[in-house]
Amino acid sequence: MSTLATLSALSEALLRFEPPWIEVGRVYRRICFLRFEGMASEAQAIEDTEFAEAAAKARRASGSEFEADSVLNALLADERERVAEAVAFAEVLVPMLSRSLPGLAPSAAAPPAAPRRARMPAHDASRGIADFIDDMLAQERAGPR
Amino acid sequence: MTTATIEKQPSGPGAQPAVSFPPPSKTAPAKAGVLLIGLDLGTNKSCVLAGPTGSTDITVSKVVPSVVGYVKDGIVDGIITGNARILYGQEALEQMLHVDLVAPLDEGVISRPEAARDFMQHIRHLADPSGRAEIRAVVGVPANAGEQARENIRRSVQGIFSRILLIPEPFLAALGYRDDSRVRQPGYVDPVVNSLFIDIGGGTSDLCLVQGYFPTRDDQISIPFAGDAIDALLFDELNRTYPNNGLSRITVREIKETHSYVGPSRKPLDIKVVMGGKSRTLELGDSVANACNALIDKIYPALTTLIASASSDSVVTLLQNIIITGGGSQIRGIDTVLQKRLADDGYESPRVRLAGQDFQRYVAMGALKAARAARENQWQVLLG
Repeated sequence: MSTLATLSALSEALLRFEPPWIEVGRVYRRICFLRFEGMASEAQAIEDTEFAEAAAKARRASGSEFEADSVLNALLADERERVAEAVAFAEVLVPMLSRSLPGLAPSAAAPPAAPRRARMPAHDASRGIADFIDDMLAQERAGPR
Repeated sequence: MTTATIEKQPSGPGAQPAVSFPPPSKTAPAKAGVLLIGLDLGTNKSCVLAGPTGSTDITVSKVVPSVVGYVKDGIVDGIITGNARILYGQEALEQMLHVDLVAPLDEGVISRPEAARDFMQHIRHLADPSGRAEIRAVVGVPANAGEQARENIRRSVQGIFSRILLIPEPFLAALGYRDDSRVRQPGYVDPVVNSLFIDIGGGTSDLCLVQGYFPTRDDQISIPFAGDAIDALLFDELNRTYPNNGLSRITVREIKETHSYVGPSRKPLDIKVVMGGKSRTLELGDSVANACNALIDKIYPALTTLIASASSDSVVTLLQNIIITGGGSQIRGIDTVLQKRLADDGYESPRVRLAGQDFQRYVAMGALKAARAARENQWQVLLG
């Protein structure tokens, strides 16, 4: 997918919605990215504040509640798909860039180092299974030691 | 693509719009038709659990012998139900006269890729008989499994599952053993926080230090000595003691599963078998003890190595949380023998426990929990 094609698709998608809804989409996109990064509490905070405010504003500008529901439904689905595609695209692109531009590798594409051995058991109740999986994937990217 | 769920606003002026997002932010979106699988792919037995996203329901829970039976040429019509060409699991074992039995795994890793692929098709069918769901599976792998072993699993499920995550088995056992409803209760010792898991399967015995972070390679030891190796030792011993006994490996395994124990020899251990059509009683006290005690001799050094690698601040608690799971946990006395050996060697109040009656399911339970918790970007997408 070329950058031009990506931008074209983005502008086409944005044109489908009125400005208040575009703002809702922007905020929701940030929420999706934060969730992909595992920053659930940050995502929740934005959902409770900025998103709720933007959605309320867009709803007020809509013709009916039914229309608002339909637009919101479509918008959120679009944004989730766009973020999922962007993340997948980045996962493919970054290793390619790091191979073709080795100078960039240390800063742009170096895999995170495997977590250092904790000296004490890490009793952090907020760490969920997904965080453990992140640790595991980081170890795998770092390769065998 | 997922769909958003819009909830109607509560009544009353000025109420904020209530928009509920697709299920919990840390989990994969609840895509229609997505089925999650937790799979413990074992050398002798595999356990598959399945359930939908966005719930804790388990819709499928099965333990299946890891074997594929290819029906021999020339079998008369009607002998095999539906004249099937391939049988799986228990059905294949029951028809062993009429099929070529192939075990897809050896020592915990795939050794027969074609059979493994057929077996995975069967697993998929068990989990999703309709064949329409998008399958995402977390599959357990032996601790320290190499890249080739992992790649073999990925290839065996390509086009069968859509996404996969491979996670070391002993860590999954810890997740599965954890009682999530009690994690925050006072007094509950969370096995994920500080424990040492010993998962004794058919092909490998895996030991893993679980201390609240994902175990590094240094925290895991995999030994290619487990149930199958005990079978082989017992088989050889029986052939030495009772030449030309005609007992098959499967019969020897059944003897082991019924009578295995560790510790001092228990004599007499008289076991009735049928040899050459005649009933005979064999005294197997020493044979069984020798074969099973060999497992202790293999595991113990690995156990003490991992204990030595724990910090001095954590080791006392760790010694209270040594948990044995997998089929090997059914060997009588394995917990007390390991515990006594640790105590005799001066370790501070060691406590070795058996995981309990769900020993065959803990890895798959952990795998299904991991599948439900995995973020969208953590899955490895398999190309069709």
